[in-house]
Amino acid sequence: MRILILGLDGAGKTTILYRLQVGEVVTTIPTIGFNVETVTYKNLKFQVWDLGGQTSIRPYWRCYYSNTDAVIYVVDSCDRDRIGISKSELVAMLEEEELRKAILVVFANKQDMEQAMTPSEMANSLGLPALKDRKWQIFKTSATKGTGLDEAMEWLVETLKSRQ
Amino acid sequence: MFAKLKKKIAEETAVAQRPGGATRIPRSVSKESVASMGADSGDDFASDGSSSREDLSSQLLRRNEQIRKLEARLSDYAEQVRNLQKIKEKLEIALEKHQDSSMRKFQEQNETFQANRAKMAEGLALALARKDQEWSEKVDQLEKEKSFLTAQLQEMKNQSLNLFQRRDEMDELEGFQQQELSKVKHMLLKKEESLGKMEQELEARTRELSHTQEELMTSNQMSSDLNQKLEELQRHYSTLEEQRDHVIASKRDAENKITALEQKEQELQARIQQLSIDLQMVTAETQHKGKAITHLQEKVTSLEKRLEQNLSGEEHLQELLKEKTVAEQNLEDTRQQLLAARSSQAKATDALETRVKELEQTLQVSEEQLQQSRDIVAAQEAQLQELATTTKEGSCAQQQILTLEQQCTERTHALEAQITALERARVADQTAAEHRMRELEQENAALKESRNEYEHSLQHHQFELKKLQEEWSQREIVSVAMAQALEEVRKQREELQQQAANLTAVIDEKEQSLQEKAAVLLQKEQEILQLEQGHNSAVLQMHQLQDELQALRSLRAEGTAAAVEQEDLLRLQGQVQGEALSVSELHVTSKTMQDPVFQRPAVGGTPNGEVGTMDLGQLQKEKQDLEQQLTEKNKTIKQMQQRMLELKKTLQKELKIRPDNELFEVREKPGPEMANMAPSVTNNADLTDAREINFEYLKHVVLKFMSCRESEAFHLIKAVSVLLNFSQEEENMLKETLEYKMSWFGSKPAPKGSIRPSISNPRIPWS
Repeated sequence: MRILILGLDGAGKTTILYRLQVGEVVTTIPTIGFNVETVTYKNLKFQVWDLGGQTSIRPYWRCYYSNTDAVIYVVDSCDRDRIGISKSELVAMLEEEELRKAILVVFANKQDMEQAMTPSEMANSLGLPALKDRKWQIFKTSATKGTGLDEAMEWLVETLKSRQ
Repeated sequence: MFAKLKKKIAEETAVAQRPGGATRIPRSVSKESVASMGADSGDDFASDGSSSREDLSSQLLRRNEQIRKLEARLSDYAEQVRNLQKIKEKLEIALEKHQDSSMRKFQEQNETFQANRAKMAEGLALALARKDQEWSEKVDQLEKEKSFLTAQLQEMKNQSLNLFQRRDEMDELEGFQQQELSKVKHMLLKKEESLGKMEQELEARTRELSHTQEELMTSNQMSSDLNQKLEELQRHYSTLEEQRDHVIASKRDAENKITALEQKEQELQARIQQLSIDLQMVTAETQHKGKAITHLQEKVTSLEKRLEQNLSGEEHLQELLKEKTVAEQNLEDTRQQLLAARSSQAKATDALETRVKELEQTLQVSEEQLQQSRDIVAAQEAQLQELATTTKEGSCAQQQILTLEQQCTERTHALEAQITALERARVADQTAAEHRMRELEQENAALKESRNEYEHSLQHHQFELKKLQEEWSQREIVSVAMAQALEEVRKQREELQQQAANLTAVIDEKEQSLQEKAAVLLQKEQEILQLEQGHNSAVLQMHQLQDELQALRSLRAEGTAAAVEQEDLLRLQGQVQGEALSVSELHVTSKTMQDPVFQRPAVGGTPNGEVGTMDLGQLQKEKQDLEQQLTEKNKTIKQMQQRMLELKKTLQKELKIRPDNELFEVREKPGPEMANMAPSVTNNADLTDAREINFEYLKHVVLKFMSCRESEAFHLIKAVSVLLNFSQEEENMLKETLEYKMSWFGSKPAPKGSIRPSISNPRIPWS
C-alpha cells in the first residue's frame, strides 16, 4: 500500500508521518525533498511518502503519483490566507490521471489552536463537496496532540479494505 | 643540312603566302635581321677596340653608313610591312568571308541542333518519364524487397538468435553431459578403488584365514603331540604309581625292619646297659680287687718291712717269705683271673660293641636306604604332582585348543560370511555400476543423437545463414544505395532542420514580439478599461442628459415620437454598449464582438448631435475618439490575431517536424489558462525548464534513490529522470535494471540506446 502525504509547507506533514510511525512528536525542519517510512496500522503495511510542500518543489509531486493508493492531504486549519492556494493545489493534483483511483483523506490539522477553522468550513473552502468519482473524507486532527489521527487511519484502512 | 633548312624556309614562305600562315613571315624575317644585326655588332665590337680621336670620325662615317644601311633596311622593312598589311587585309577579307560562311553554317547547325535537341528533349523526357516510372516501380519493388528482406533479416536474426541459444543450450547440455560423465567416471573410479580396497581386504582376510588355519593345524599338531605326551606321561604315571606302590611296600618293609631293628636295638641297648652295668660291676670289682691288691701290696710291703726288721728271726722270715710268695702267687692268680675276666669282659663288650656297631651300621644303612627310598618317594611324588599338573595343563591346553578351534571356526565363519557379503556387495556394485554405465551410455547416445541432430540443424541453419548472408550481402549492396539515398534524405532533412531552426528562431522572435504585443494588449486593455470607465461616465452623463431631454421634452411640446424613439434607441444602444464592454472586459480575445458594439454608439451618437447640447457634442467627440481608438485597437488586435495564427501554423509545422516537443507544447498550452484561473498552482507547472531544478532537491532525491530500498527506489525513478532530464530510453533502462535487482530471476538487461553509441549509429558497409 502506497500513501502520499501532501499539502502546503508548514501544514504538519512530516510531524504526522512520524506521529503515525513512531507515535511521538518529533522536531522537524522544512522538508527539502521527501521522507519515506513504512507504517504498520492494523496489520496493514503502508509505504508512506511525505513530500516536501514548499512552492519550489511542489512541481515534483507529480513524479510520485504513480501506483498511489491514497493521498493524505494535510491543511493548516489556521492558515486562512493560504487555503485558496491549498485548494488550487488540491484541485490540480486530483486532476492527474495517475491519481484517478486514489482515496483522498483531508487532515484539517492544527485543530488544537484557538483560531482553527471547522472541518466543514474547510471542506467548503477546499471545494470538497464538488468532488465527483472520488472517495474522500475530512478529519480534524492535531499532530502534536495526536487527536483524530486514529479515526482517520481507521477510515482509510476500512476504505482501502472495502475497495480491494 | 643548310640546303634542307633553306628548302624548309622556302616552303614556309610559300605557305606564308596563303592566308592563315601570315604569322610565319615575321619570324623568318626576324631571324634574318637578327643574324645581320649580330654581324653588325661584330663589326662594332672590332671598331671599338681602337679608341682614338681620329678613329672617331671614321667611326662616325661608318656609323652614318650603317645608319644609311639601316634606313635602307628600314624602308625595306616598311615595304615588307606594307606588303604584310596588304596580305593582312586580304586575309581579313578572307576571314570575314570565312566567318560569314561559318556563321551561316553555324546557324544552320544550331537550328538543326536545336531541332534535334527539342526532339531529343522530348524523347528524353518521354524516356525519362518512362524511366522515372520504371524507377519508381523499381524503387517500390526495392522497398518491398527491402521490407521483405528486413523482415527476413529479422527472422534470420531471430533464427540465428535461436540458433545461438540452441548452441548455447547444446553447449550447456554437453557441459552437463560431460559433468555427468565425469561424475560417473569419478564414481566408477571410487567404486573401483573401493572394490580394490575390498579385494585387498578380502585377500588380507583370506591370508589371515590361511594363517589362522595354519595356526590351527599347528595347534592341532601341538594338541596331538601334547596328547601323545599326555599318554606317555600317563603311562609313566602308571609305572611311577606302580613303582610308588613298590616303594611304599618296601618302605613298609623297611619300616617293619626298622621297628624290628629298633626293637633289636632296644634289646641291644638293654643288653648294652646290662653289660655296662656288668662292666661297672666288674670295674667296681676290679677296683675293689685293685684296692685289695693295693692293700695286699701294702701288707706285702709292711710284711717286707717287718721281715727286714725281723731278720734275726730267719725261720720266721722264711715262713713269711713263703707266705708272701704264696700271697703273691695268689695275687698273681687273681690278677690272672681278673685279667681273664677283664679280657673276657672286654671280649664280650668288644663283641657286643662290634655287634652294636654292626647293628648301628645296618641301621644306618637301613636308614640310608629308607632315606633313599623316601627321597625316591618324594621325587616320585614330585614327579606325580608334576604329572598331575601337566595333565591338568594338558586338559587346560586341550580346552584352550578347543576354544581356539571354536574361535577359529567362528572367525572363519564370520570371515566367510563377510567375504560372501563383500562379494555380494561387489557384485551388486558391479551390477549397479554396469547398470549406471549402461544408462549413461544410453544417455550419452541420446545426447550424441541430439547433438548430431543439433549439429545437423546447425549445419542446416548455417547453410541458411550463409544463404541469407549472401542474400544479405546482395541486400546490403541495395541497402548501400538506399543508405546513400538516405544520406541524401538526411542531408535534406538537415537542411530542413536548419530551416526548422531558422523557423524556431523566427518563432522565438515572433513569440517575443507576441509577448510584447501581449504587453501592449494589456496596456490596451487597461486603456479599454479606462475607456469603459469613461464610457460609463458618459452613459451616466447620457442618462442625465436624457433626463434633461425628457425635462426639455416635457417643457417643449415639440417632442416628436422619432426623437423619443431615437432617445430610446440611444439608451438601448448605450446599455448594449455597456454590456458589450463588460463582455470585452472578460474576453479580450473575442474582439470581433466589440466591433459592432463600438460602431453602434457611433451610429447612435449622431442623433444626439441633433439634440444639440454642448455636453452632447463633447460626448460625441469623446465617443468618436474612443471609437477611433477602439477601431485602431481592434485593427491591431486583428493583426495580432493573424500573427498569432501564423505563428501557430509555423509552430504546428515545427511540431510535425519535431514531435518530441509535442509534450512540451501540450503542457505549455494549458499553462496560461491555469495561470489565469489559479496563478498559484505550481504542482503541475512545467518541469522541463532546466533552470528551475532545485539543486538541493536534486541532491536529496538522488541521495535517497541511492540509499533506500529497491521498492522505494522504484518509485523514485520518475523523479530522478525528471530532475536529470533522462530520456525515455534511459528511464526504461533504469526501471529494468531495478526490476532485475528486485527479482530473483531474469537476466541483467543489456544497456542500449545512447549508452552504447555503437549500435545506434547507422551501419557503414564495407564497400
